[in-house]
Amino acid sequence: MTLTLTHYLVLAALLFCLGVYGAITRKNAIGILMALELVFNAVNLTLVAAGRFRPQSDGVGQLFALFVIAAAAAESVLGLAIILAIYRRRVVVNADEMDLMKN
Amino acid sequence: MAEMILFYALAALLLLSAGLVVTVRNIFHAALYLALALFAVAALYVMLGAYFLAAMQVLIYIGAVVVLAIFVINLTRTVTGAPVTLTRRWVIPAALVSALTASLIIVALLKSAGPAGAAPDGAADPAVQGSAAANAAAQGTAAALGRHLLGDFVLPFELVSVLLLSALIAAIVIVGKDREEEK
Repeated sequence: MTLTLTHYLVLAALLFCLGVYGAITRKNAIGILMALELVFNAVNLTLVAAGRFRPQSDGVGQLFALFVIAAAAAESVLGLAIILAIYRRRVVVNADEMDLMKN
Repeated sequence: MAEMILFYALAALLLLSAGLVVTVRNIFHAALYLALALFAVAALYVMLGAYFLAAMQVLIYIGAVVVLAIFVINLTRTVTGAPVTLTRRWVIPAALVSALTASLIIVALLKSAGPAGAAPDGAADPAVQGSAAANAAAQGTAAALGRHLLGDFVLPFELVSVLLLSALIAAIVIVGKDREEEK
């Protein structure tokens, strides 16, 4: 019995689900962002594993993962900047208290 | 089956730490578990032969994203409660973690330099070489990725640089705003 693509895909699916669970249950906005990082990593794991077990992909899976990392870095920088800006103005970090645009 | 054992150990570590990221009550601890989970993913990248990507994972995710999250957690600490005491009790574990990180980066970079990299001392190494096709071994190198980035994928590559620049400017504008209004 050897490692197959399915092993990695199942692991990535579990990781993805944990991330989604965290994004839903966390009240703290920073916690939500960190759960989203888990989701990005799950997707990256599927991309890299698919590239590794499908030789005709010619390394493009890793390339996509690299782009996802860059996009995720930009996303987390902006997310944390917004959290910090809201905190300075309103002294809240919980997502359900951020209702500035509600009315 | 060394490869299987390694995979299941890493998978267990990854899922355990990811579970703690989303369940633990102290947000600071969650950030530390996130670093552990990301490290496990980097180790899985090494198993998959993606050495350059593993190095980038450690540098960008653990080195930048998690550190940034910890900064914001500390800056907003008055609301999150649970004062974080920075003691020197964990000197040995901290040294161990930093040494392991360094060795991972070094192994990844050595591997990335060429398919016939010297000194295969990482635990993942025999597993990778045991089952990898010759094609897959060459995929993970920085040279192969760079050829793609400046070849077929030059447009997305340039777009990413624009994205990162705009994110940088936007972050400065968003966070720097309050200071102007105070004056």
